[in-house]
Amino acid sequence: MSRDEHEPDEPVRVLVVDDHPMWRDGVGRDLTEAGFAVVGTAGDGAQALRVAAATRPQVVLLDLNLPGLSGAELIARMRGPSLRILVLSASGERQDVLDAVTAGATGYLVKSARLEELVAAVRATAAGEAVFTPGLAGLVLGEYRRLAAGPAPDTPRLTARETEVLRLVAKGLTYPQIAERLVLSPRTVQNHVRNTLTKLQLRNKAQLVRYALEKGID
Amino acid sequence: MVAQLWRATAAFRLATLVYAVALILRHRHGYAHPLGGLLALAAMAGWTVLATAGYARPALRRRAFVVADVLVAVALILGTRWVDTGVHIDHGAPTLPVSWAAAPVLACAVTGGPWAGLAGAAAVSAADVVERAALAPNTFNGVVLLLITGVVGGYVVRLGTRAETAVERVARLEAATAERERIAREVHDSVLQVLSLVSRRGRELGGEAAELGRLAGEGETALRTLVATPPAAASGELELRALLEPYAAERVTVSGPAGPVPLPAAAAEAVAAAVGAALDNVRRHAGAGASAWVLVEDEGDVVTVSVRDDGAGFAADRLARAVEAGRLGVAQSIVGRMRDAGGTAQVTSSPGQGTEVELRVTR
Repeated sequence: MSRDEHEPDEPVRVLVVDDHPMWRDGVGRDLTEAGFAVVGTAGDGAQALRVAAATRPQVVLLDLNLPGLSGAELIARMRGPSLRILVLSASGERQDVLDAVTAGATGYLVKSARLEELVAAVRATAAGEAVFTPGLAGLVLGEYRRLAAGPAPDTPRLTARETEVLRLVAKGLTYPQIAERLVLSPRTVQNHVRNTLTKLQLRNKAQLVRYALEKGID
Repeated sequence: MVAQLWRATAAFRLATLVYAVALILRHRHGYAHPLGGLLALAAMAGWTVLATAGYARPALRRRAFVVADVLVAVALILGTRWVDTGVHIDHGAPTLPVSWAAAPVLACAVTGGPWAGLAGAAAVSAADVVERAALAPNTFNGVVLLLITGVVGGYVVRLGTRAETAVERVARLEAATAERERIAREVHDSVLQVLSLVSRRGRELGGEAAELGRLAGEGETALRTLVATPPAAASGELELRALLEPYAAERVTVSGPAGPVPLPAAAAEAVAAAVGAALDNVRRHAGAGASAWVLVEDEGDVVTVSVRDDGAGFAADRLARAVEAGRLGVAQSIVGRMRDAGGTAQVTSSPGQGTEVELRVTR
């Protein structure tokens, strides 16, 4: 949170990106009522990039199912030091969700989540925390196992503790419940969860750099 | 494919006709009946035209026409004995149609497969042997080659036809999948968005609207499961996530890896049935408002599925006592099913802590 540029009392600046106008307006209104500053909305990837550049939001609430740019591409191009991306999407698109968090999104919430959950998630995202659903934990766990089974030598691995924490998140336990069960502080649980994402994202970044060098783009 | 085979047969017939014509024109002065040689030549040319035209029309590719084709060849082979001199024949002179007589064998193979090919080859070979009144070594070789041509030709035709059918089926399947994906996208972009919005706003409004919202949420989950494309699995295997996804509901979360989790069909079905039984238990015993989470983990050689709920739970000895008392419900439907499929099931619970069922199958 050392990077936070805004005063603690100022409302969190949010950009809502969704191609469905009804949904966009509904969520925008809900967030405004909950005390956030909805600084813009966008219906597709290109527009999202423009609005994000103009309004400098802290949190982008992003639907993955956009026309044009893929969610992962958009995230990779939008990502900045003071901008965090919370994916709000349908549960059906597993690979898309995994690609999105690998590309740099720090949280994921299903669209059917309750308003309290959404508000808490936007707040947590703004504070630099990772927002995990059980579904996302299952995906990340599966991705680490897939990478471990593959031939690549530099794959990131989970520590035993991180695996334990992710499994409990996937089984629906809340962070305080996990902290109690593993005799840890909730803060430590949160850090473990955050680390599992950071490692995947770093690997993704390293791969992109290597790809760019191989293709002679520098 | 069939049309191409008929064209190939016609080309073979024409090429061998040219060869037979050349041989007859060259040898005719030595024939006993040179005019007979020219007659045979005319018959072969005429039949080549007739057969090529006839086989070009699917309606005429019938048994009677093929039999006539074979009979023409047989008649020409037998006619050699009348046209040519006995001395020539006994010294191994070729029959009048030479390899032209193999064309009807090909026609048999293309029409009726390996057995018909064999029958046609047998008829033509028999005529060959009768014509020579002996089975000289080169006649024998010719007969063997002809029989092989009939059987192998027919077999290749059958394989080709099957491959063609398979390719057509795959093309149809691909078209159906593409259409399914299109529908899924449409449904996703329209109906699902509205349903999830109704579901969320309904719950916030409370009262009767909350009930409507709950129903919309259930509809959303069901529809989403329906339009999700099931990943393909090898034959004899089933994709576990596709089997478990339908259990997802308002209070049931199903999670696992992004990729497919294939298992032998029997094991996959046993796991799915055990998960269903465990979720039934949650509904019946965990208490109102209990949620459940199903987690699929693929560790390579072992697949683990856990079903956890946040309900009432029970004391550790209750399950054992239930088994002793003959109330086998949970034990039989979950533990027994998994044991039958070569897996294990472990149930852990304590009062107030919910229940967790862990199913494991070794690949």
